[in-house]
Amino acid sequence: MKRLKWLHFALAACLVLALTACGSGKSDSQSQTQDNNQTGSSNSSKPSDTSAPKGKTELVFWSPFSGPDGPFMKKIVDAYNEQSDSYQVKFQIQPNGDYYKLLDNAFGTKKNMPDLMIMHLDAIPTYAGKDLLQPMDDLAAKAGIKKEDYVEAAVNYATIDGKWWGIPLDIHPLIMYYNKDLFAEAGIEHPPTNREEFLEAAKKLTDPSKGQWGYAVPTLWPQQFIFPSLIYQQGADLVDAEGNPNLNSPEAVDALAFLKSLIFEHKVSPENVAQDGEVKLFLQGKNAIQFNGPWMKDQWDKAGINYGVAPVPVFFDQPGVFGGSHTFVVPKAQTDAAKLEGIGDFLKYVAGHSLDWAESGQAVASKQVLASPEFQQLTQQQTEVAKEFDYVHFAPPIPDWGSIVGELWTQVNLTLLGKAEPQQALDEAQKKALQAAEAKKQ
Amino acid sequence: MRGSWKTKLTSSLFVLPYFLCFAVFLLYPLVSGIVLSFQDYDMLGSREFIGLENYKNIFTPDTYNHDQFVRGLTGTFKFVVYSVPFLVIVGLALALLVNALSTRGRGLYRTIFFMPYAISATVMATIWMRVFDTDTGFLNILLDRLGFAGPHIGWLNDTPWVWIALVFCTIWWTVGFNMIIFINGLNEVPEELYEAARLDGANGWQRLIHITLPSIRNISTVVLIMTVIASFNVFAQPFLMTRGGPGYETTVLLMNIFAVAYGQHQGGAASAMAILLGLIMLVISTVIYRLLSGRRG
Repeated sequence: MKRLKWLHFALAACLVLALTACGSGKSDSQSQTQDNNQTGSSNSSKPSDTSAPKGKTELVFWSPFSGPDGPFMKKIVDAYNEQSDSYQVKFQIQPNGDYYKLLDNAFGTKKNMPDLMIMHLDAIPTYAGKDLLQPMDDLAAKAGIKKEDYVEAAVNYATIDGKWWGIPLDIHPLIMYYNKDLFAEAGIEHPPTNREEFLEAAKKLTDPSKGQWGYAVPTLWPQQFIFPSLIYQQGADLVDAEGNPNLNSPEAVDALAFLKSLIFEHKVSPENVAQDGEVKLFLQGKNAIQFNGPWMKDQWDKAGINYGVAPVPVFFDQPGVFGGSHTFVVPKAQTDAAKLEGIGDFLKYVAGHSLDWAESGQAVASKQVLASPEFQQLTQQQTEVAKEFDYVHFAPPIPDWGSIVGELWTQVNLTLLGKAEPQQALDEAQKKALQAAEAKKQ
Repeated sequence: MRGSWKTKLTSSLFVLPYFLCFAVFLLYPLVSGIVLSFQDYDMLGSREFIGLENYKNIFTPDTYNHDQFVRGLTGTFKFVVYSVPFLVIVGLALALLVNALSTRGRGLYRTIFFMPYAISATVMATIWMRVFDTDTGFLNILLDRLGFAGPHIGWLNDTPWVWIALVFCTIWWTVGFNMIIFINGLNEVPEELYEAARLDGANGWQRLIHITLPSIRNISTVVLIMTVIASFNVFAQPFLMTRGGPGYETTVLLMNIFAVAYGQHQGGAASAMAILLGLIMLVISTVIYRLLSGRRG
């Protein structure tokens, strides 16, 4: 009997541990978690107001802004609620790392659905493809929101089958940060704009005896932004014309070989850079150049580094950067006419008042704000970011693209650690990508 | 006899809270997990029974699901094999050390060694990433100062160092729990046995081998099984610190189950993997239990 009890205990314990453990923890690294380094922050689900005053329609609004960006959006929402007589937006922040897990659970169980939510632009093909989102065309038309009010790249991407699925808030492309003090010491006057200038500067800035590097190459995140940028700069893409993965193109091999050469040939980067290692070096003033997203601004500011921001240099034939974008989407299940009208009203307001969001370091997608003198005065980072809007690319519009390129980041990692060659690594990534795409079809 | 139904009712009522928790947090997730593993579920609403298809895919070589499962299980197995012996032996060693102290020191050190167990995974990972970072990490800078020339060791992205780092921080993080259980076990060993052995001239080592270890046999079995189960469930350390790298060397199964569920939106396949992991853990736990408790029967 005792043995039987043990069996029960063991069975229950291991199964439950296995099941619950996969429900906890943070979301996977492929999910464009942009506040990647804010692992500690978890001010989740803080409603800004407990309930709507009488006579006002309440709109529940979900966002993943659990990092330093949260208060900037709250400011916009509060100001909106202040001036609106008909609607009350209830702003809820979900933990960034768990955001899509929570969204999936809401979609899956159809419970606790928000009326309006932030979704990354490149997640729209997945969710629109599952018929879970509502086209924004009617809502926008009623509220007087026009496609031409926003940056084309984001609008075009969010337009699938002639319908507009998400209204953009911002675009966050890869940008270049550089340490102004180190540049001055090395006698470099301008941030590099092309491959030659970049290599020259990086070599001048490198001094292994001081543990100082021109450009420490990350081997994990944010390669998800860097490596595709180098492919776009050659006029190529990660998918072919039919939308099938095309990860081992000659352009992809060149891009990876270039990154590898920075470590092993030009030696402007240390070897074996660990996750966030290049960020730690940059924070200590031992890494002169850093390619990352605009969301890093807060960390640099807090560390008190004298840094500059510039567009990513053109390493190949044309400018091109990978980017993400926050957009507003409405779940398909939301059919309440009054609420839809309220959402339109709020989004119209945001389009005119997203300057507060730009203060967080982001460059917004609303042309009205981009052109405003107030935005033009935000010279520290935002205007540099906006310069890249003409040539920004987003992830291929393939549902669950993140899981198709899972192996790619593994292989990029191995290559940059010196454990694989670009061609074989990308052949392997391509093979696994096709398998992952195949698994989706079953 | 009249009061017997009342007694039964009273005792049932006492069990009720536990049973409710058991049903809500154990039975229901377990059953729905099993049901889910026979379905094609996209985690977003559409689900459909497909029988054993999910399991079949996992065992079909050269497919995405097979790869995710086999690679993840390999990583998990490696972690179990590397970590469990240390977690048990270090736990026992700490318990013996702490128990050898005076009563006051005992409480203090017990608390110190147990404290990391209360720290959250993200904090633990942040601390150890600072220690193990290749270029700015405390450990490599210390090695520099001590005069070890040569390139920095990639503690988080080079084999075998990456396993050493993961096992080390796991010991630091969780060994306090095993230590506490061992201390309780040690306290139950009758003092007379040691006295008798001392009179017979047994030295410390002999007392450990012939008295302490046999006396805590049962508790050691419990600790071992719990440690094996905990190590099979490893997730946070590689997920946060190595991201599964270098390559997929430290990618463990729970990371891949997560990727299949939320990255691929294949809830059924992910569930099937979780069930298989559970069965593997069940078998291994049973085997350990049988082997170690065999002589007692």
